[in-house]
Amino acid sequence: MGAHISIPMYQRAVSQKYRMLAQKCLHCGKVNFPPKAVCKYCLTGSKFEHIQLSGRGKIYSHTIIAGGGAPPEFAAEASCKGSYPVVLVELEEGPKVIAQLVNPLDREISVGMPVTAVFRKIYEEEGVIRYGFKFMPAPVS
Amino acid sequence: MIKSVVSHGIYIPFLRITREEYINTLGSCNADIKEKAVMDIDEDVLTMAVEAARNASTEIDISQIGVLTLASATFPYAERVMTGTIIQALGLNKNILTSQHGNSTLAGTEAFLSALGLMEETEAKYALVIISDAPAAEASSDMDHGFGAAACAFVLAKAEPGLRFEGTYAYSDEVPGLRYRLPGDKGVRDIGVRSYSAMAHDDTMQASVQELFNKMHRTPGDYQHVVLHQTSQKTAGALAKKLGFSDGQIKIGLVYDQFGDTGSCSPFIGLCHVLENAGKGAKIMICSYSPGSGSHALSFDYDNQFPDSSKKLQYFLNHKKYISYIHYLKIKKVI
Repeated sequence: MGAHISIPMYQRAVSQKYRMLAQKCLHCGKVNFPPKAVCKYCLTGSKFEHIQLSGRGKIYSHTIIAGGGAPPEFAAEASCKGSYPVVLVELEEGPKVIAQLVNPLDREISVGMPVTAVFRKIYEEEGVIRYGFKFMPAPVS
Repeated sequence: MIKSVVSHGIYIPFLRITREEYINTLGSCNADIKEKAVMDIDEDVLTMAVEAARNASTEIDISQIGVLTLASATFPYAERVMTGTIIQALGLNKNILTSQHGNSTLAGTEAFLSALGLMEETEAKYALVIISDAPAAEASSDMDHGFGAAACAFVLAKAEPGLRFEGTYAYSDEVPGLRYRLPGDKGVRDIGVRSYSAMAHDDTMQASVQELFNKMHRTPGDYQHVVLHQTSQKTAGALAKKLGFSDGQIKIGLVYDQFGDTGSCSPFIGLCHVLENAGKGAKIMICSYSPGSGSHALSFDYDNQFPDSSKKLQYFLNHKKYISYIHYLKIKKVI
């Protein structure tokens, strides 16, 4: 078992994990994701409005988790793929989030590469599938 | 009341395995695929369903969705409400009418027909139908060779132009021993008598299609496009000819050789390809089939073309990565 997150705790965050529901501080206007009790930017605002993030962003930083380096909940994924990329993404709305990158292109993963969020299984524990977002390279229009 | 499909969305997994890979590894391939779609280790029918539904709903006001029907013969849970996962992932209203359809590859047309009925019970403008499937068999079974994966979603509306539903005909009979799954099994079985299976396949679909013709006073020539359930490229093509359809009528909707047998999604993936190519005024028929046996034939009139979708079937035909058979077995958790 890896970093255990209880099912009730996970359930309370499904709107963030499933569809990236964020909060906008009514004091300074900055977007907090994941949501906070007090705005992490102005350290003052405690009133927010919900906003739906677009899921679009650019890679701010990235790494590869190779065999043996994966936390236990991702061991099956590491075993299947050999290794998997993890990216820090700067979203269009401002927040930076960490997630796996799926469907990597043949070309090298690079800082500034546009990505878009997709809905995937994150891991399974106690027979319960934990869903959430990952990123994939943005389709070329 | 007139009800029409006003938008559609598709999702096909990124990973593919080719017929050549099967032949190179196993010495043969039992399915007449060129390649088939394979869910990655972090995908299931619900993740595919969400992606297809997002692609279908980009141009509509999702707060106006009052009905959600969800279909799959391969849900990740044997018992649980799974429409809630979709509602959260899409941000739909939580007080909408929902239904889940499973247990056979008729689930897709069942969900579609249920949505048409449930729309009568709500003031909301739209219904969302999602069909997502990934049939599975043991890796040691020849049935596995053709099993693919796909999802599609349709937004239905009252009194709006689009793909207008005209009518349906359903047929069921008792034909045991074909493609069944026992409680606890992860894959389907079959007694493996090909002539018996082919007879049930043809007779069941023939019954629903012929009776739909009779009911609607139509002939095969009245339809520009026909999409039959596809468990094989050859059998779908042969049955279409037996029913009086030409190659031209079935060509666009016959996509089995690209994605494999997509279960309850099978006729709907073909329908999506037709919608992306058909002209205004085209008459379209689809026909589902499930061993056991049952079939639904549905007739449509395409009276208005859909808004251009950024993720057409062609996008998924081009956007893919081929995997080895070893990688495929790892995904299936065989090794």
